[in-house]
Amino acid sequence: MLNEQELLSALRRRDSAAFNQLFDTYSDKVYRLALSQLENEDEAEGVVQDAFLRLFERLDQFEGRSKLSTWLYRVAYNLCQDRLRQRRPLLSLDEDNDDNDLPAPTVLIDWEDLPEQYLSAAEVSAELDRAIATLPPKLKTVFMLREMEGLSTRECAEVVGISVSAAKVRLHRARLLLREQLAAYFAERV
Amino acid sequence: MQEISCEDLLQYLSDYIDENLDEELTAVAKHHLATCHSCSVVLDSTQKTIFLYRQQGKRTIPAKRRERLFDRLQDAFLAGKGETA
Repeated sequence: MLNEQELLSALRRRDSAAFNQLFDTYSDKVYRLALSQLENEDEAEGVVQDAFLRLFERLDQFEGRSKLSTWLYRVAYNLCQDRLRQRRPLLSLDEDNDDNDLPAPTVLIDWEDLPEQYLSAAEVSAELDRAIATLPPKLKTVFMLREMEGLSTRECAEVVGISVSAAKVRLHRARLLLREQLAAYFAERV
Repeated sequence: MQEISCEDLLQYLSDYIDENLDEELTAVAKHHLATCHSCSVVLDSTQKTIFLYRQQGKRTIPAKRRERLFDRLQDAFLAGKGETA
Protein backbone atom coordinates (compact mmCIF):
# COMPACT_ATOMS: atom_id res chain seq x y z
CA MET A 1 0.00 0.00 0.00
CA LEU A 2 1.55 3.26 -1.13
CA ASN A 3 1.38 6.39 0.99
CA GLU A 4 -0.23 9.42 -0.59
CA GLN A 5 2.95 10.94 -2.05
CA GLU A 6 4.05 7.58 -3.44
CA LEU A 7 0.59 7.04 -4.86
CA LEU A 8 0.60 10.41 -6.63
CA SER A 9 4.05 9.76 -8.10
CA ALA A 10 2.96 6.34 -9.34
CA LEU A 11 -0.24 7.80 -10.80
CA ARG A 12 1.81 10.37 -12.71
CA ARG A 13 3.72 7.44 -14.23
CA ARG A 14 0.33 5.93 -15.14
CA ASP A 15 1.11 2.87 -13.07
CA SER A 16 -1.89 0.57 -13.27
CA ALA A 17 -1.44 -0.82 -9.73
CA ALA A 18 -1.60 2.76 -8.48
CA PHE A 19 -4.86 3.21 -10.35
CA ASN A 20 -6.25 0.11 -8.61
CA GLN A 21 -5.29 1.51 -5.23
CA LEU A 22 -6.80 4.91 -6.06
CA PHE A 23 -10.05 3.36 -7.21
CA ASP A 24 -10.32 0.95 -4.28
CA THR A 25 -9.56 3.67 -1.73
CA TYR A 26 -11.66 6.53 -2.99
CA SER A 27 -14.44 5.44 -5.37
CA ASP A 28 -16.88 4.36 -2.66
CA LYS A 29 -16.20 7.47 -0.58
CA VAL A 30 -16.94 9.79 -3.51
CA TYR A 31 -19.96 7.70 -4.49
CA ARG A 32 -21.48 7.95 -1.00
CA LEU A 33 -21.06 11.72 -0.94
CA ALA A 34 -22.60 12.08 -4.40
CA LEU A 35 -25.47 9.73 -3.60
CA SER A 36 -26.27 11.64 -0.43
CA GLN A 37 -26.47 14.85 -2.45
CA LEU A 38 -28.17 13.67 -5.60
CA GLU A 39 -30.17 10.65 -4.40
CA ASN A 40 -29.73 9.06 -7.81
CA GLU A 41 -27.34 6.19 -8.50
CA ASP A 42 -26.73 7.04 -12.16
CA GLU A 43 -25.86 10.61 -11.31
CA ALA A 44 -23.69 9.54 -8.38
CA GLU A 45 -21.78 7.23 -10.72
CA GLY A 46 -21.37 10.14 -13.13
CA VAL A 47 -19.91 12.28 -10.38
CA VAL A 48 -17.38 9.58 -9.42
CA GLN A 49 -16.34 9.33 -13.05
CA ASP A 50 -16.01 13.09 -13.53
CA ALA A 51 -14.14 13.60 -10.26
CA PHE A 52 -11.59 10.91 -11.14
CA LEU A 53 -11.20 12.22 -14.70
CA ARG A 54 -10.52 15.67 -13.30
CA LEU A 55 -7.85 14.22 -11.04
CA PHE A 56 -6.20 12.46 -14.01
CA GLU A 57 -6.13 15.76 -15.91
CA ARG A 58 -4.59 17.60 -12.99
CA LEU A 59 -2.15 15.03 -11.69
CA ASP A 60 0.85 17.10 -12.73
CA GLN A 61 -0.50 20.23 -11.08
CA PHE A 62 -1.67 18.53 -7.89
CA GLU A 63 0.44 20.20 -5.23
CA GLY A 64 -0.70 18.24 -2.23
CA ARG A 65 -1.84 21.26 -0.25
CA SER A 66 -4.97 19.25 0.50
CA LYS A 67 -5.13 15.57 1.24
CA LEU A 68 -6.13 13.61 -1.86
CA SER A 69 -9.37 12.51 -0.20
CA THR A 70 -10.31 16.10 0.72
CA TRP A 71 -9.50 17.25 -2.82
CA LEU A 72 -11.64 14.52 -4.37
CA TYR A 73 -14.52 15.17 -1.97
CA ARG A 74 -14.37 18.87 -2.78
CA VAL A 75 -14.39 18.30 -6.54
CA ALA A 76 -17.25 15.81 -6.16
CA TYR A 77 -19.20 18.17 -3.92
CA ASN A 78 -18.88 20.97 -6.49
CA LEU A 79 -19.91 18.62 -9.30
CA CYS A 80 -22.98 17.70 -7.27
CA GLN A 81 -23.81 21.37 -6.75
CA ASP A 82 -23.55 21.91 -10.53
CA ARG A 83 -25.93 19.03 -11.17
CA LEU A 84 -28.38 20.26 -8.54
CA ARG A 85 -28.35 23.72 -10.13
CA GLN A 86 -29.11 22.16 -13.52
CA ARG A 87 -32.07 20.37 -11.98
CA ARG A 88 -33.39 23.48 -10.28
CA PRO A 89 -31.91 26.47 -12.08
CA LEU A 90 -34.06 29.00 -10.23
CA LEU A 91 -33.14 27.74 -6.81
CA SER A 92 -30.19 29.28 -5.07
CA LEU A 93 -28.38 26.54 -3.23
CA ASP A 94 -27.08 29.08 -0.76
CA GLU A 95 -30.39 30.72 -0.08
CA ASP A 96 -30.83 29.18 3.31
CA ASN A 97 -28.15 31.05 5.17
CA ASP A 98 -26.59 29.63 8.27
CA ASP A 99 -28.33 30.90 11.33
CA ASN A 100 -27.33 30.33 14.88
CA ASP A 101 -30.73 29.35 16.25
CA LEU A 102 -30.53 25.77 17.39
CA PRO A 103 -33.47 23.40 17.18
CA ALA A 104 -34.67 23.19 20.77
CA PRO A 105 -35.15 19.60 21.97
CA THR A 106 -38.83 19.04 22.64
CA VAL A 107 -39.06 15.24 22.90
CA LEU A 108 -37.34 14.25 26.11
CA ILE A 109 -38.04 10.57 26.59
CA ASP A 110 -35.16 8.72 28.17
CA TRP A 111 -33.65 6.29 25.65
CA GLU A 112 -32.16 4.34 28.54
CA ASP A 113 -35.72 3.11 29.15
CA LEU A 114 -36.09 1.72 25.63
CA PRO A 115 -35.97 -2.04 25.22
CA GLU A 116 -32.56 -3.10 23.87
CA GLN A 117 -33.96 -4.37 20.57
CA TYR A 118 -35.35 -0.91 19.73
CA LEU A 119 -31.88 0.42 19.14
CA SER A 120 -30.83 -2.34 16.78
CA ALA A 121 -34.00 -2.94 14.77
CA ALA A 122 -33.97 -2.53 10.99
CA GLU A 123 -37.05 -0.36 11.41
CA VAL A 124 -34.99 2.18 13.37
CA SER A 125 -32.38 2.17 10.65
CA ALA A 126 -35.10 2.92 8.08
CA GLU A 127 -36.44 5.72 10.29
CA LEU A 128 -32.94 7.17 10.53
CA ASP A 129 -32.66 7.09 6.72
CA ARG A 130 -35.97 8.93 6.48
CA ALA A 131 -34.80 11.50 9.01
CA ILE A 132 -31.51 12.05 7.15
CA ALA A 133 -33.39 12.49 3.88
CA THR A 134 -35.30 15.39 5.44
CA LEU A 135 -32.17 17.24 6.53
CA PRO A 136 -31.32 20.35 4.51
CA PRO A 137 -28.58 19.25 2.05
CA LYS A 138 -25.95 21.53 3.53
CA LEU A 139 -26.45 19.96 6.98
CA LYS A 140 -26.54 16.46 5.55
CA THR A 141 -23.21 16.89 3.75
CA VAL A 142 -21.30 17.97 6.85
CA PHE A 143 -23.00 15.33 9.00
CA MET A 144 -22.19 12.43 6.68
CA LEU A 145 -18.62 13.58 5.99
CA ARG A 146 -18.01 13.84 9.70
CA GLU A 147 -19.92 10.91 11.14
CA MET A 148 -19.67 8.36 8.33
CA GLU A 149 -16.44 9.28 6.56
CA GLY A 150 -14.57 10.41 9.66
CA LEU A 151 -13.38 13.80 8.38
CA SER A 152 -12.39 16.44 10.91
CA THR A 153 -14.53 19.56 11.14
CA ARG A 154 -11.72 21.47 9.39
CA GLU A 155 -11.71 18.98 6.51
CA CYS A 156 -15.52 19.16 6.26
CA ALA A 157 -15.24 22.94 6.04
CA GLU A 158 -12.60 22.65 3.31
CA VAL A 159 -14.74 20.28 1.24
CA VAL A 160 -17.82 22.48 1.41
CA GLY A 161 -15.93 25.77 1.17
CA ILE A 162 -17.12 27.30 4.45
CA SER A 163 -15.47 28.40 7.69
CA VAL A 164 -14.69 25.89 10.42
CA SER A 165 -17.16 27.61 12.74
CA ALA A 166 -19.93 27.37 10.11
CA ALA A 167 -19.15 23.65 9.66
CA LYS A 168 -19.41 23.16 13.43
CA VAL A 169 -22.80 24.87 13.50
CA ARG A 170 -24.06 22.72 10.63
CA LEU A 171 -22.87 19.54 12.31
CA HIS A 172 -24.46 20.53 15.60
CA ARG A 173 -27.79 21.42 13.98
CA ALA A 174 -27.82 18.16 12.01
CA ARG A 175 -27.20 16.11 15.14
CA LEU A 176 -29.97 17.85 17.07
CA LEU A 177 -32.48 17.61 14.22
CA LEU A 178 -31.83 13.89 13.76
CA ARG A 179 -32.02 13.29 17.50
CA GLU A 180 -35.36 15.07 17.64
CA GLN A 181 -36.82 13.00 14.80
CA LEU A 182 -35.65 9.70 16.26
CA ALA A 183 -36.85 10.75 19.71
CA ALA A 184 -40.31 11.49 18.27
CA TYR A 185 -40.29 8.08 16.59
CA PHE A 186 -39.43 6.33 19.87
CA ALA A 187 -41.93 8.42 21.83
CA GLU A 188 -44.76 7.01 19.72
CA ARG A 189 -43.69 3.50 20.61
CA VAL A 190 -43.11 3.55 24.35
CA MET B 1 -18.42 26.40 40.39
CA GLN B 2 -19.81 28.47 37.53
CA GLU B 3 -23.39 27.53 36.61
CA ILE B 4 -24.72 27.37 33.07
CA SER B 5 -28.28 27.26 31.76
CA CYS B 6 -29.81 24.49 29.67
CA GLU B 7 -29.62 26.82 26.66
CA ASP B 8 -25.90 27.27 27.18
CA LEU B 9 -25.44 23.53 27.57
CA LEU B 10 -27.26 22.97 24.29
CA GLN B 11 -24.88 25.39 22.55
CA TYR B 12 -21.89 23.44 23.88
CA LEU B 13 -23.34 19.97 23.38
CA SER B 14 -21.50 19.00 20.18
CA ASP B 15 -18.23 20.40 21.47
CA TYR B 16 -18.78 18.40 24.65
CA ILE B 17 -19.46 15.22 22.68
CA ASP B 18 -16.37 15.84 20.52
CA GLU B 19 -14.28 16.71 23.61
CA ASN B 20 -13.48 20.13 22.20
CA LEU B 21 -14.29 22.12 25.34
CA ASP B 22 -11.53 23.36 27.57
CA GLU B 23 -11.09 21.79 30.99
CA GLU B 24 -13.05 24.42 32.85
CA LEU B 25 -16.08 24.35 30.53
CA THR B 26 -16.02 20.57 30.49
CA ALA B 27 -16.26 20.54 34.28
CA VAL B 28 -19.08 23.10 34.22
CA ALA B 29 -20.97 21.08 31.58
CA LYS B 30 -20.46 17.85 33.55
CA HIS B 31 -21.81 19.53 36.67
CA HIS B 32 -24.90 20.74 34.80
CA LEU B 33 -25.47 17.32 33.24
CA ALA B 34 -25.22 15.62 36.64
CA THR B 35 -28.01 17.79 37.98
CA CYS B 36 -30.27 18.26 34.92
CA HIS B 37 -32.14 15.17 33.76
CA SER B 38 -33.46 16.81 30.57
CA CYS B 39 -30.01 17.80 29.37
CA SER B 40 -28.54 14.42 30.21
CA VAL B 41 -31.36 12.81 28.16
CA VAL B 42 -30.54 15.09 25.23
CA LEU B 43 -26.84 14.23 25.50
CA ASP B 44 -27.48 10.49 25.72
CA SER B 45 -29.97 10.45 22.85
CA THR B 46 -27.73 12.61 20.63
CA GLN B 47 -24.80 10.26 21.23
CA LYS B 48 -27.02 7.26 20.48
CA THR B 49 -28.28 8.91 17.27
CA ILE B 50 -24.68 9.28 16.09
CA PHE B 51 -23.92 5.71 17.14
CA LEU B 52 -26.94 4.35 15.24
CA TYR B 53 -25.94 6.26 12.12
CA ARG B 54 -22.36 4.98 12.24
CA GLN B 55 -23.62 1.47 12.89
CA GLN B 56 -25.63 1.48 9.67
CA GLY B 57 -22.48 0.72 7.74
CA LYS B 58 -21.10 2.30 4.64
CA ARG B 59 -22.81 1.87 1.32
CA THR B 60 -20.61 0.79 -1.52
CA ILE B 61 -21.02 1.06 -5.27
CA PRO B 62 -23.17 -1.84 -6.49
CA ALA B 63 -20.99 -4.53 -8.13
CA LYS B 64 -22.03 -4.14 -11.77
CA ARG B 65 -21.90 -0.38 -11.61
CA ARG B 66 -18.51 -0.59 -9.95
CA GLU B 67 -17.11 -2.91 -12.61
CA ARG B 68 -18.32 -0.64 -15.41
CA LEU B 69 -16.92 2.44 -13.75
CA PHE B 70 -13.59 0.76 -13.07
CA ASP B 71 -13.19 -0.26 -16.72
CA ARG B 72 -14.07 3.18 -18.07
CA LEU B 73 -11.77 4.99 -15.66
CA GLN B 74 -8.92 2.55 -16.14
CA ASP B 75 -9.12 3.05 -19.91
CA ALA B 76 -9.07 6.82 -19.49
CA PHE B 77 -6.20 6.60 -17.01
CA LEU B 78 -4.04 4.39 -19.19
CA ALA B 79 -4.87 6.46 -22.28
CA GLY B 80 -2.99 9.30 -20.57
CA LYS B 81 0.21 7.22 -20.61
CA GLY B 82 2.91 8.99 -22.59
CA GLU B 83 1.29 12.38 -22.02
CA THR B 84 2.81 12.64 -18.57
CA ALA B 85 5.83 10.33 -18.78
